[in-house]
Amino acid sequence: MSGAWAIARRETASFLATPIGWIVIALYLAVSGAVFAFGSLSPGEPASMEGFFALSRWLIMFIAPAISMRLLAEEFHSGSIEPLMTAPVSDWEVAIGKYVGAVGFMLLMLAPTLTFAVALFTLASPDPGPILAGYIGLILLGMLYLSIGLLASAVTSSQIVAFLGTMFFLLLVRLGALKGAEFVSEPYDRALYALLVDLRMLDFARGVIDTAHVVFFVAASMWFVALTALSLEIRRWR
Amino acid sequence: MIDARDLKKSFGSVQAVRSVSFQASAGRVVGLLGPNGAGKTTVIRMITGYLPPSGGSVSVDGLDSVQDSRRLRRLIGYMPEATPLYPEMRVVDYLDYRGRLFGLRRRERRARIELCIERCRLIEMRTRRAGHLSKGYRQRLGLAASLLHDPPVLVLDEPTSGLDPAQIVETRRLIADLAADKTMILCSHILPEVERTCDELVIVARGRVRAAGATDELLRASRATAPYVMEVVAGESLNVEQTLRSTPGVAHLSAVPCEGGTRFTLTPKATAPDLREPLARAAHEAGLLVRELCRDAPSLEELFIRLIDEAADEDASTTEGATADRSPA
Repeated sequence: MSGAWAIARRETASFLATPIGWIVIALYLAVSGAVFAFGSLSPGEPASMEGFFALSRWLIMFIAPAISMRLLAEEFHSGSIEPLMTAPVSDWEVAIGKYVGAVGFMLLMLAPTLTFAVALFTLASPDPGPILAGYIGLILLGMLYLSIGLLASAVTSSQIVAFLGTMFFLLLVRLGALKGAEFVSEPYDRALYALLVDLRMLDFARGVIDTAHVVFFVAASMWFVALTALSLEIRRWR
Repeated sequence: MIDARDLKKSFGSVQAVRSVSFQASAGRVVGLLGPNGAGKTTVIRMITGYLPPSGGSVSVDGLDSVQDSRRLRRLIGYMPEATPLYPEMRVVDYLDYRGRLFGLRRRERRARIELCIERCRLIEMRTRRAGHLSKGYRQRLGLAASLLHDPPVLVLDEPTSGLDPAQIVETRRLIADLAADKTMILCSHILPEVERTCDELVIVARGRVRAAGATDELLRASRATAPYVMEVVAGESLNVEQTLRSTPGVAHLSAVPCEGGTRFTLTPKATAPDLREPLARAAHEAGLLVRELCRDAPSLEELFIRLIDEAADEDASTTEGATADRSPA
């Protein structure tokens, strides 16, 4: 797995060496910081980060595709996939390395928001449970979205197509499952509700870390990473 | 060391490689030649494990490109044609990344990076981002990356394309240095370069090998039927044509008048030895005054063009045959 680690390191460093990485971080911090400052820090408001997490769950739906769009699509477009795939690394290592690199960048993006929590604890006495669970939920959600974006990036050499494909897929699942569940009876509606990550996030927002939710996010993410590795394998044989 | 047997590769309905077989022994430089679309790059991609063959097999040191793909890739240093790099990475960071991909340990990696930077003359560019490098330095970085893990086999796809003459000479010198202790496959369009650098040639056209062997032998074989040109001053003999035609080994003769004489083109029989001396002797004995006698020996370029033309004709006749077979009686 040393190959995967090398790819992950390069990937995270590459985000930080390009303007797009810094623009994504700056925009996210500016918007989430404004919501936190004008929401949680306003006089009379409860000492919680609920507003920040609610907004971040939406923002991550756009940010994750922006991070993941270049992961493999850029390699295909520039031709750098050829030296990569002729190095002694497996398709799995490439997929995992790319994924870990993108998750690493997302964690770096989220890291400065810990100052929001520090500020809150300095000024008031918030319940730490929902804050901790909120971060875990946000990271798991981001990991899932990044894995979907990684797969989209593996099936096209166009970053724009990968970005739009991921975003529309996420929106389609969200809206489709919600509307679809209204038209079908039990037990099928439960299967559709299970796809609604929003409902799972509500538990995290309350400070509940449900193992079922954690397993869902981790398993679904690994599923998309596995599909990415499979897609790379198919690409070789096509 | 490299053994390609009846390699085939199809992309959907397109047969990019139909049948390619060749061997490259240890320490030899093999030139893979062919026009655009001949299937050279596809062959190279199958050797390096990037693409699995649709048929046939390729092995390096006994390791199969599909069954032992990862171990095989450790033995090969590969520089693709366009030298794709990550523009945001600095030269030294890129080499460090490649070293990690090949599993080089820290101390070894650092030592190899320094050696490759020095060998490929990248010292003053070591902290420059790849995106800011000139074409020549990009090629050098690609070459340094392919040498990093000290592979016994080097596969270089068009290593001098897009370089200026000085850079070409420099790269050629570096390749010659490397050829001393590595098996090398060199893919190039620049035929004089290939003729000078390669011990063996594999000429590919339309997905098939059209000629293969030692460079000298291929050229010698193509010269066996190369015509002789003889210019004789007019009026010295009434029966010049008859004299030359009767020389043993001459298969065909044609004549065109030239300034004050006749210019003969004599095609030798395939088995004929060098005819320059017998022709000169025959002319002397017949009292002819010879103004010029030389052999129109083909260069690698001409041999290449002849083989490509033959391949095109062969394909055209195959297509015609297939069309005729399908057409209603």
